[in-house]
Amino acid sequence: MDRRDLFFRFLFGGSAVVLSYVTAKLLPWKVIGGIFAAFPAVMVVAVMMVGMKKGSKDAAKTAQGSVYGMIGGFICVLTVLFSLQLTQNWWGSFISGLITWFASSLFLVYMRDHKKENRASNIKLEH
Amino acid sequence: MESLSISGIVIRFLLGGSAVVASTIISRKLGSKMGGIFAAFPAVFLAALLTLRLDAKGSELVEKSIVLSQGAVVGMFINIMCAIGAVYFCTKQGWKRGLTQSIAGWFLISIIFAVISGYF
Repeated sequence: MDRRDLFFRFLFGGSAVVLSYVTAKLLPWKVIGGIFAAFPAVMVVAVMMVGMKKGSKDAAKTAQGSVYGMIGGFICVLTVLFSLQLTQNWWGSFISGLITWFASSLFLVYMRDHKKENRASNIKLEH
Repeated sequence: MESLSISGIVIRFLLGGSAVVASTIISRKLGSKMGGIFAAFPAVFLAALLTLRLDAKGSELVEKSIVLSQGAVVGMFINIMCAIGAVYFCTKQGWKRGLTQSIAGWFLISIIFAVISGYF
């Protein structure tokens, strides 16, 4: 794997997240600033980079994976929220949020692929 | 206008950059869909939580983190809509127009939510 390419991606991804933070903080309109604080910068950069290198089909696949990742992110935020309310343990809540993000995203991708395989084998059996 | 925190910038830069690199490496090794999971790494939310930890401690930290997480629940929900839009529009109209339209949709939904929740 080309290290220069990865370094460029690191710079671009990091800059996109920082830019959304700077925009959120510096804009004089609080509402617009607050909206930019939640900008999905990593997804936008990742889809854009796949699109530039491999085209729209793979960009759509990355976006599809990111739907599962975003649902995982939603579950992560809920876990952190409820864990903080129940335990008041900051690090425990932070780590359990990370674990639930990854586990739930993987589970969703696995379930989706498993469902597709089942559907394909059912169609084969019918024929 | 609020002041910028240097530690906030550094944490966001490292998390954002690492997530994009992880997404690229995993896409190449395990396929685009698996890479997409890391494309949705909640870098902004986790960086905001870590930045809070630098400024607050104890029960104040927990309280501020709870308020942040409550706001992030809505943000994440809108981001799911944005990602679904990106899949649909990238497939139908190519990645350039597709991504632009899904970002426009994200911005519109966020504004509508801000208006409805009585932010103004």
